[in-house]
Amino acid sequence: MNNRQRLLQRRLFLQQGAVAGTALALGSRLPGILTQAAAAARSRADDGDRILIVVQLSGGNDGLNTVVPHRNELYQAARPTLRIASADVLGINDDFGFHPACRALADLLEQDSLAIVQGVGYEQPNRSHFESMDIWHTCRRKEERGSDGWLGRAFDRHAETAGNDPPGLFLGANKLPAALVARDTQVPSINSPEQFKFQGADAQLVADALQEGSTAGEAMTAEEDELAAFLSESTAAAVEASGKIAAALEQSDGGSSYPDTPLATKLRTIARLIESGFQTRVYYVEIDGFDTHAQQADAHRALLEQWSGAVAALTQDLARMGRLDDTLVLSFSEFGRRVAENASEGTDHGAAAPVFLTGGRVAGGIHGDLPSLENLDDGDLRYHTDFRRVYATVLGQWLGWNPTPILGQSFEPLNVLRG
Amino acid sequence: MAALMQGSSLAATPWAPFDPAVDGAWNERRVRHLLRRAAFGGSDELVAELVAAGPAAAVDRLITGADDAADRRAASEQLARTVLANNAPKRLSAWWTYELITTPHPLRERMTLFWHGHFATGGDKVTDAEALYRQNRLFRDEALGDFRRLTHAVAQDPAMLIYLDSVTNRKAHPNENFARELMELFVLGEGNYTEADVQQLARCFTGWEVKQGRFRFNRYQHDGGEKSIMGKTDAFPDAEAVDWVIDQPSAPFFIVGKLYRLLVADEPQPSRELLAPLAQQLVDAEWRIEPVVRTMLASKQLLGDSAIGRKVRSPVDLAVGLLRSLDGITSSTALADDLLGMGMGLFFPPNVKGWDGGRTWISSATLLARANSLGRLIDHESTRFNSVSPSEYLSQWTDDPVRLVTELEQRLLAVTLPAATREKLIALGRGIDQPERRGRVVLQAMMSGPLAQLA
Repeated sequence: MNNRQRLLQRRLFLQQGAVAGTALALGSRLPGILTQAAAAARSRADDGDRILIVVQLSGGNDGLNTVVPHRNELYQAARPTLRIASADVLGINDDFGFHPACRALADLLEQDSLAIVQGVGYEQPNRSHFESMDIWHTCRRKEERGSDGWLGRAFDRHAETAGNDPPGLFLGANKLPAALVARDTQVPSINSPEQFKFQGADAQLVADALQEGSTAGEAMTAEEDELAAFLSESTAAAVEASGKIAAALEQSDGGSSYPDTPLATKLRTIARLIESGFQTRVYYVEIDGFDTHAQQADAHRALLEQWSGAVAALTQDLARMGRLDDTLVLSFSEFGRRVAENASEGTDHGAAAPVFLTGGRVAGGIHGDLPSLENLDDGDLRYHTDFRRVYATVLGQWLGWNPTPILGQSFEPLNVLRG
Repeated sequence: MAALMQGSSLAATPWAPFDPAVDGAWNERRVRHLLRRAAFGGSDELVAELVAAGPAAAVDRLITGADDAADRRAASEQLARTVLANNAPKRLSAWWTYELITTPHPLRERMTLFWHGHFATGGDKVTDAEALYRQNRLFRDEALGDFRRLTHAVAQDPAMLIYLDSVTNRKAHPNENFARELMELFVLGEGNYTEADVQQLARCFTGWEVKQGRFRFNRYQHDGGEKSIMGKTDAFPDAEAVDWVIDQPSAPFFIVGKLYRLLVADEPQPSRELLAPLAQQLVDAEWRIEPVVRTMLASKQLLGDSAIGRKVRSPVDLAVGLLRSLDGITSSTALADDLLGMGMGLFFPPNVKGWDGGRTWISSATLLARANSLGRLIDHESTRFNSVSPSEYLSQWTDDPVRLVTELEQRLLAVTLPAATREKLIALGRGIDQPERRGRVVLQAMMSGPLAQLA
C-alpha cells in the first residue's frame, strides 16, 4: 500500500468512525495496549512519512544563557548580572547546564530525545535581525538574487511527496517566513483553526465564488501579470487549504495536555493535523521576543519556559500517537548574543549559537565544542559549524531529499540522527 | 531660479508631470487610481471634482487636504482623551482607525501611517498609550514635513527609545540597538555601514535616556570622546551624529525608494537611475518630503497606465479604501480588531522593521481574514454607505446584478475583471433571492477576490 492509499484508508476509517458517532471520540482514550499496537503499525514509516517541524526563536536567542558554560570564568566575568550560577543550572555534563527554565528540555535530554549542536553560524556574520534571518532562510547573502527559501526550494523539487496536502504549512499571523517561499508551490499560513475558515452566514457562497473566480476566471489576466498570478494562486490555495484543514481537524481532538501558551497551542494544532493523517512534510512556527537588549533575565526565562514546555508537550503527544520516531523538531535563532552583557542588563546582537533537534531518532547529547570565549570575533562567538550542515542533515538524512541542489553546494552532514 | 532648475532636472525623466494631451485621458479611472494611492480612495463627489480640476490641481488638492469640520475634530479628540485616560494602547488602534475613515486630509494620514511603519514602534512593548499617541502626533505633524527634523525627534522620542530597549544607555557598555536601527532601518538601509560604524555610533547615544516618560540627556553617562563613523572622526556632540548619518549619499535613495514602494509600485525594485531625480530633489529641498511626494503623485510614472494595479492593497487600503470610496463609516473598534487580524494592527507593527508590504501582505491566513473582515464590515450594524445602510445603498443596483457588478467594480477595483469572474459574480447575485442580501454578498465576494487586492 503506498502512502496515498494508506492515507485514504485512514481517512476513510476516521470518517466512518465519525459517522458511527463514538469510535473517533474514544480514539484517544482507548486502552494503552490498543494505542500502542496502532502506534507500532504506524511507526514503520519510511522517509516519505517523516515530518520536520521548525521552531524559529526570533530575535536572537542567548545561547550562552540557554546551554550555560557555568564554570567558565570568562563566561562569569562577561555576565556580571546575567550569569547563571552553577547551583542554579540543570546539569548536562561537567561543563554545561541548562537554564533553569528548560526543565522540560533537560528531561528530553535524559530520554535521549534532544541533540544540541554547538557553535552554529556562518562566515562574516551579519548582526542585523532581518539580514541574518534572511541568510538562514534563503542560504543567500543580500547581494545574491532570488527570494525563495531553503524549504521552498525543497518543495518545488519534491511537492509530490505530500500527496494532495500542501508540502509545508506555516502556523502564524505574521508574514510567511522566507524559508518557506517557493517559486512554484504555495505554502499556506494559518493563524488558528478557528480563524482559518470562511465565517458568517454566507461563508459557503463567498468561498465558492472565490474558488471558481481564482481558478478559472482570472487565469487570463494572471498570465500577463505576475502580481495578479500570485494573488490568484494564493487565493486558490487559501480556499483549498481552509477546507482541508477544517476537515482534518475534525478528525482529531488533540489528546495530550499542552501548556496554555501561544507556541504550545500552535504545536498542538500541528499534532492534530499529523494525527488526522495530513501528509504535510514540514511545519513551521515562530516564537518572538528573544531580542533581549535590556532587563534580559525575566524575559528570557519566560521565553525559554514557553519554548521548552511546548516542545516537550509536543514530544509527549507524538509519543502517544506513535509518531515520535518520524518527527524531528529543529529549533534555531538568527544569531546568538554578545558574550559581554551591556549596561542595560541585556545583551546585544551576537553571532554563533546552539541549534536544537528533538525527536525519537536524534543522537542525544551535546555535539561539538562551545566556541572559545577568549578568541572572539568582535565580541561574539566564532562559529565552527555552518548552519547549512544542519540543513543538509535534515534534508538528506531526514526528509530524504538531495540537499546539494537545494543548498547550492554540498555540505557535510552532522552525526546527529540515529538510523 | 532654483525652482526652474529643479523643474528642468525632472523634465526629461519619468517624473515629469503627467500631461493628458500626451499621456492619456484624465478621466474617472485615472482619478480613482490617484485617490487609491494617495488617499485610500474617494467618494463619487470627490472623483467628479478632481476630474474637473485636472491633474495638477487634483494633486494640489490632495496635498492641502480639506478643512476639518469642528464636530468631527471634537469627536476625534474626545475619543483620544478617553483612550488616554484608560491608558489602553489597544484602543488607540480604534482611535486611529476613526481618523483614517473620517479625516479630511487622507494624504496626511497615508503619510502618518507610512512613518509609523518606517519608525515602527509597538504597543505590545510600549504600554504607555500617551507616549504612543505623542509619537503618532509627531508623525502627523511631519507627515509631509522635514525628514531631518523628524529623525531628530524620533531619536529622542520616548516611545521609540522604550521600544528599542534604550531607556538607559551607559558610557561603559553602550547599547547598540538604536544606533543599528537608525542606520539599517531609518536612514541608510542595510549594507551601507559597517559593524564598526554601529559600535562607534552607539557611543554617540550614551547618556540618552528616558526618565519619567521624558527624554533626558545624562552628561555623566555620555561618552564625549572621538568616534570614527563612516569616514569622519569627531566627538559628534549633541545630535550631530544623526545629521552625519542623514548626510550619507545612500540616505536620499533609501528614503525615496521607500516612498516609491508606498506610492508607485511594489515590484520590481526601482533602479537607481529611476530614483536619482527624486533623491536629488529631496536633497535640494533640504529633506522636505512634500515636494517629492508632489512630484511623484503628479508624474507620468505614477499616473500613467503602467502603474495601475502595481501594488497589493494593505489591510487599511482594502477596508478604509472600501469605506472612503462609498462615502462610508463603520465601527472603528470592530475594524481596528479586524485590521490586526489581517496583519496590520495599528500601533502593533510586527517588529521594528514595520510592515514589509507588497506580497508579504498575502498568505492564506490573511486572505481568509480579508474575506471574513469584509463580511463583518459590510454586515456591521453601524456601517453606513453614503449615510444609509449597506443594503439600502446597494438597493439602487440590486434589481439588476449586471449593473450591480459594474457599478461596484468601477468604484472599487483597480483592474478590470475578466469576463469569467464577472459572470461568476453576476450568477452569484442572481442566485440570491433576497435583494437586501444580494448586494452585500456580491460586494463581499468581489472585494475578497484576488484582483480586488490590487491597487
